[in-house]
Amino acid sequence: MATMTYLQAISDAMREEMRADERVLVMGEDIGVFGGAFKVTDGFIDEFGPDRVMDTPLAESGIIGTAIGAAVVGMRPIAEMQFADFISCGFDQLVNVAGKMYYRQGLPVNITVRLPSGGGFSGGPFHSQNPEAWFMHSPGLKVVAPSTATDAKGLLISAVRDHNPVIYLEHKHLYRRVKEEVEPGTYATPFTARIAREGTDLTVIAYGAMVHTALEATEDIDGASVEVVDLRSLVPLDEEAILASVRKTSKVLILDEANQTCAAGAQVAAVIADKAFEDLDGPVRRVATPDVPIPFSPPLEQALLPSVDRVKEAARELLEY
Amino acid sequence: MATKTAGADPAGVVTEHLTLEDRVALLRYMLLMRGIEERAMNLYRQGKVPGSFYDGFGQEAVSVGSTFAMSAQDRLCILHRDLGGHLVRGVTPARILAQYMGRADGITNGRDGNVHFGDHRLGCVGMVSMLPDMMLVATGMAMAFKLRHEKRCAITWFGDGSTSRGDFHEAMNWAGVQRLPVIFVLENNQYAYSTPTTSQFAVDPVERAATYGFPGETVDGNDVEAMFEATRRARERALAGDGPTLLEAVTMRMHGHAAHDDMKYVPKEQVEEWRKKDPIDRQETRLREAGVDTLAIREEIAAAIEEGTREALANPMPDPATATDRLFHDGDEILLGDGNAPWSGFAGGAR
Amino acid sequence: MSSSNTETTTVEVVMPQMGVSVSEGTIVEWRKQVGDWVEYEEPIVDISTDKIDTEVPSPAAGRVAEILVEPGTTVDVGTVLARLATDARPGQAHASEQNGAAEAAAAKGETPAASTATPSPEPGTATPDDAPSRERPAAGARRYSPVVQRIAAEHGVDLERVEGTGRGGRVRKQDVLAYLENGGAAAAEEPPLHIESPYRPDPVEPKPAPAAATGVYQAPAAAPLSRMRRIVGEHMKRSLDTAATCTTWIEADMSRVERARRDAGLTALPYVARATIDALREYPALNAWLQGEEHTVHDDVNLGIAVSLGDDGLIVPVIRAAQDLSAEGLSKRIKELARAARSRTLSPDDVQDGTFTITNPGQYGSIMATPVINQPQVAILDLEAVVKRPVVVTDEDGNDSIAIRPMTVLGLSWDHRALDGALAAQFLAAVKRRIESV
Repeated sequence: MATMTYLQAISDAMREEMRADERVLVMGEDIGVFGGAFKVTDGFIDEFGPDRVMDTPLAESGIIGTAIGAAVVGMRPIAEMQFADFISCGFDQLVNVAGKMYYRQGLPVNITVRLPSGGGFSGGPFHSQNPEAWFMHSPGLKVVAPSTATDAKGLLISAVRDHNPVIYLEHKHLYRRVKEEVEPGTYATPFTARIAREGTDLTVIAYGAMVHTALEATEDIDGASVEVVDLRSLVPLDEEAILASVRKTSKVLILDEANQTCAAGAQVAAVIADKAFEDLDGPVRRVATPDVPIPFSPPLEQALLPSVDRVKEAARELLEY
Repeated sequence: MATKTAGADPAGVVTEHLTLEDRVALLRYMLLMRGIEERAMNLYRQGKVPGSFYDGFGQEAVSVGSTFAMSAQDRLCILHRDLGGHLVRGVTPARILAQYMGRADGITNGRDGNVHFGDHRLGCVGMVSMLPDMMLVATGMAMAFKLRHEKRCAITWFGDGSTSRGDFHEAMNWAGVQRLPVIFVLENNQYAYSTPTTSQFAVDPVERAATYGFPGETVDGNDVEAMFEATRRARERALAGDGPTLLEAVTMRMHGHAAHDDMKYVPKEQVEEWRKKDPIDRQETRLREAGVDTLAIREEIAAAIEEGTREALANPMPDPATATDRLFHDGDEILLGDGNAPWSGFAGGAR
Repeated sequence: MSSSNTETTTVEVVMPQMGVSVSEGTIVEWRKQVGDWVEYEEPIVDISTDKIDTEVPSPAAGRVAEILVEPGTTVDVGTVLARLATDARPGQAHASEQNGAAEAAAAKGETPAASTATPSPEPGTATPDDAPSRERPAAGARRYSPVVQRIAAEHGVDLERVEGTGRGGRVRKQDVLAYLENGGAAAAEEPPLHIESPYRPDPVEPKPAPAAATGVYQAPAAAPLSRMRRIVGEHMKRSLDTAATCTTWIEADMSRVERARRDAGLTALPYVARATIDALREYPALNAWLQGEEHTVHDDVNLGIAVSLGDDGLIVPVIRAAQDLSAEGLSKRIKELARAARSRTLSPDDVQDGTFTITNPGQYGSIMATPVINQPQVAILDLEAVVKRPVVVTDEDGNDSIAIRPMTVLGLSWDHRALDGALAAQFLAAVKRRIESV
């Protein structure tokens, strides 16, 4: 076992897959010679060559579209958007070509789209977004979001192998902050939820960076036993795990770093209200970023993103309800 | 620099690469395309075809001619006025008509309509409505061929209107900078719905190919043999590693944008002028002069379409219970397959 | 003095007969004073009888003209307690009283302030079981979350009885679960069911001051027994004087009852009651009245359950035709009657015609007792504490071993005039047998 950061685990996953399968290639802006804006593919071009570690033109629609073309003739492209925010430039290809191809034509599109997402470091409105909800809403796309280094590796390996378009959200703020022992070699993590901490009095559901916020915020609230569910996979959504946890605790708080309206948490809340009504001992509550673009200046940004204190307060209120 | 390929006069020989059988085959496919589309239009007017109906009346030479130059291993992104492409690859009239009528055995099993289909087993990728998205998909396929050092190319069609969208630029640029084996066939049929080309671009796109680093060539889109020849040469370039080619097939959309469009915005004189250049008439004339019984061919095609119609009408509608099926694929890998390549130049294993 | 031309109609308020055998009643408190207006059927006075405490509705609308019996006085049924003048409107002096009545009232010194000689409970006051610790929304305003309702429905829990520890006193999931944990009858929630017996803790009396140096014992001043004490005492004395009271005991293994009651969310009493009823069907001689020489064996089991009213003594509401109810049904009926008893809303019918009584005072841990028979019945069953004991159990092969079982001692006091010890023992054995095969 080696200690790896979340970022290193992502690199490790791609390295493993590229070594094992020559069909796998990674493509994006500045990822080859430069090693990537965040250095995720640092050194890759030396090992795998410029054909498989491709510096593309600045063309998000082009990156996604050509990845689709390469995939249907047998490649396994991992397309990187330099920032998740720029996926809007490739939205059409992703949603209309990749997402709908198998349903319409019976032709699966095996692409993996890596999106460095999330805020918390003064990235401003165009470098801090969490766009997963747009893609949860588009049929035919899978969406995953790891919160740990172990899952970052395992989920990416699964994504590359999945025959379907998978959008992989890697949270920039976790790149170097999260570090743990990661299994060497190859392993594939299924697209299911994971219990980050077991508990009995309250369930907090989160994914990505918010899992860490949830764990910290609920570590000690007057000795209450709080369960934290790490969704890991947004499409498919692990309804079974969600409902089992709510059945156990009867109280649930859902976190989103994304803007509140129609974020992933809204769907989770709807599922719970529909299928766990008789297990509820309190309202289904959410903590999310308000519906504004993410501002640049630190006090503004910090006021918006769900903080440990805000989550703790919400959890306490619900515990006492 | 754009170059022009001279369309030969009706009796002249355009290329030595076509045998008589090939030339007959070209007529066949065009007749089949027109016949199927006429039959489909009738079915549409009878209420058997839901949604919209698009045809490529008057443009048959473009898709038939260019697809005829594609080998079995090449890959195609076919557009809505290019039914001939599907036919050359081997899709049957029955399945096409079933597709139009939304039947269970249509190529998309009722999931998409009209010409929004591509039989992946024959190497065709079904189009989307956002144009020209498929230019990038074709570019991507070509990219893979180049990465793997394969002697194959990709081809896609798109209209004059779609060149105004960003994906046109991204695909041209990408294909040009990576020197990819892709053939871009720009079908300039003078109108994008009701928008004439004079409102679409200030500079003819074929002129712009040079700015992306590869040749653009204007072709008589109503001469099926000229289309074949231009595409064949572009394919040779591609396989030789010389990168992409933009072929501008000049033609005319003889019907409305769709069945619901009466094209009042097109001057009648323009339509009349292009009627005289009908691609099927031209090829038929050539072949009669070469002693071919084109009437017999027409009868054959008509019978084939009757047969196909019967089969399609017998096909049931899809089961509503299957409406949410086939969203994600779980089983073995599914890839594009090879299609038919009827050109005699590919016989005997020639590529 | 001016005279009025209007006629005065006077209506008398009399001591009612609360039950066939009741011959007298005691005034507890006047709700209206002289000069007050009272509406037709509005409660005018609280009374207490042997059977029941109740309020008397006014027989007419009018002004209280006279009060004839003071609180604390016991009078025969039919005695006139007060008089009403019915010919005036509220807020208006009676025609008959105008010009002079007001002065007369003032002269009499009547004030609206209630004055009672002895402390007595008012109907509807808080019962001893109300926990004062948390503010509780009014019963009608309480809302229960879906999971709380579901758990309550599954276990037959009366949510009104569950203490809420959530915000604003709301009942949370853990509250209803804790309620079930405690056998659905947390000591704070359900008061002991108790019969007239020596087990009522007597009021602690202050130690007398040390004797003065003179050596002569100075007894403190005596206080009269409360009315309740007197009544209870009279009952006990009468019973012991009438019946030839003997007591027999038997041990019973309550394992199966404990298991069943936990699953169903009930107390042990309904199961014991059901077992008793079945045993009475087997031994009907114990389901009987003995009045003088007249011995009546009843078909129906009208089961009396002793209910403690705290400082207000004891009452025995009756479950009529109890043989028709299952343990769950008995539990429900027992709760209803106990609640009615504590809120003083029992009707005379509710306390009559009992044929057998059960008393259940085991909350303090006492294990055996010698209960007093409820006249004119011939027997009474006492259920005390359930205590875990090491017992000897024998398996099918005849091997003995020690097991830990929840055990209880059932006591039966019985009237030797009506039956013998052998029958009493057989009856007890029948109860035990049924308890041990729940």
